[in-house]
Amino acid sequence: MPAAGVVLIIAVVIVVLALVYYLVATIVALRQITNGLDEAIDAVGEIVAKSAPVEPVVADINQNLDAAVDALEALLVKKAGLEDSIGLIDGLYPGAGTAGLRNFDGSGDIRPPRIAEVYTKGTLTLARLGREAPIAAASPNGPALRNVTGGSLNARLLYPEIRQTRPERMPRSPVIGTNAPEQYEPSPEPGIRRRMPAGANSNERTTSADARPV
Amino acid sequence: MTLWWIGDILLLLVVAPIVAILLGRVLGEARAIVPSVNRIRDAARRGSADLDAVPLLLTTQEQVKQTVEGVANYGGSLDVIVDDA
Repeated sequence: MPAAGVVLIIAVVIVVLALVYYLVATIVALRQITNGLDEAIDAVGEIVAKSAPVEPVVADINQNLDAAVDALEALLVKKAGLEDSIGLIDGLYPGAGTAGLRNFDGSGDIRPPRIAEVYTKGTLTLARLGREAPIAAASPNGPALRNVTGGSLNARLLYPEIRQTRPERMPRSPVIGTNAPEQYEPSPEPGIRRRMPAGANSNERTTSADARPV
Repeated sequence: MTLWWIGDILLLLVVAPIVAILLGRVLGEARAIVPSVNRIRDAARRGSADLDAVPLLLTTQEQVKQTVEGVANYGGSLDVIVDDA
């Protein structure tokens, strides 16, 4: 065999070996890909199976919640009126009034009335109970009360002056009961004073008796 | 004979390197797919595990139903005891 033939055979063998090596390695890699995809497909199948009942359940939940929202909106508007409803909502959740009510077109355009700004929940409850609370009578143009949960002191400032600072300077109400401070001299017998005040008739048994002729 | 030698040289210096390069590229791309497939598999497994809580939706559904019933009863009572605007 000529030398060129030997070289040709060697070259062909080299090419075939290269083909075998690379193709086998590629087959191994493709097999790994196939196994990985099989496992991924199984997991995706589980996802599909597990998520299948989600839609009807969530739809049912949304349906119930929609019904509740509709009923509560209708009740609120029926009891408080549309404008006051927006005011109440904006009072409880500042800024939420602009979103309006879902079932009342144009409710988001209503400017929340002042009750949303100055009423606390307690004050508003009193007003709704018909107590005629003089809400904002002292400062109708004052700053808005934003702390609706803990703003009772600010709410008190909305009332006339006598309702807030003066009672704190006035004497406290008398204490009655077993721990009451002793205001009068104890008497050995009920209705009889141990010592009569100066100028009073000694025959009087009580200070309220008036012996003068009528 | 000369042509034979030329064929040998072409086979060794041109065909064999081209075959090796092309097959190496194919092998490299195939191996590059494997980590991606593994990540997809892991993500799908985690997604499947996350959906294990789906049956709790049935509990949520029942509780929402009971809550809405309570709200309806409460609203009905308010409708009776509070005057209309």
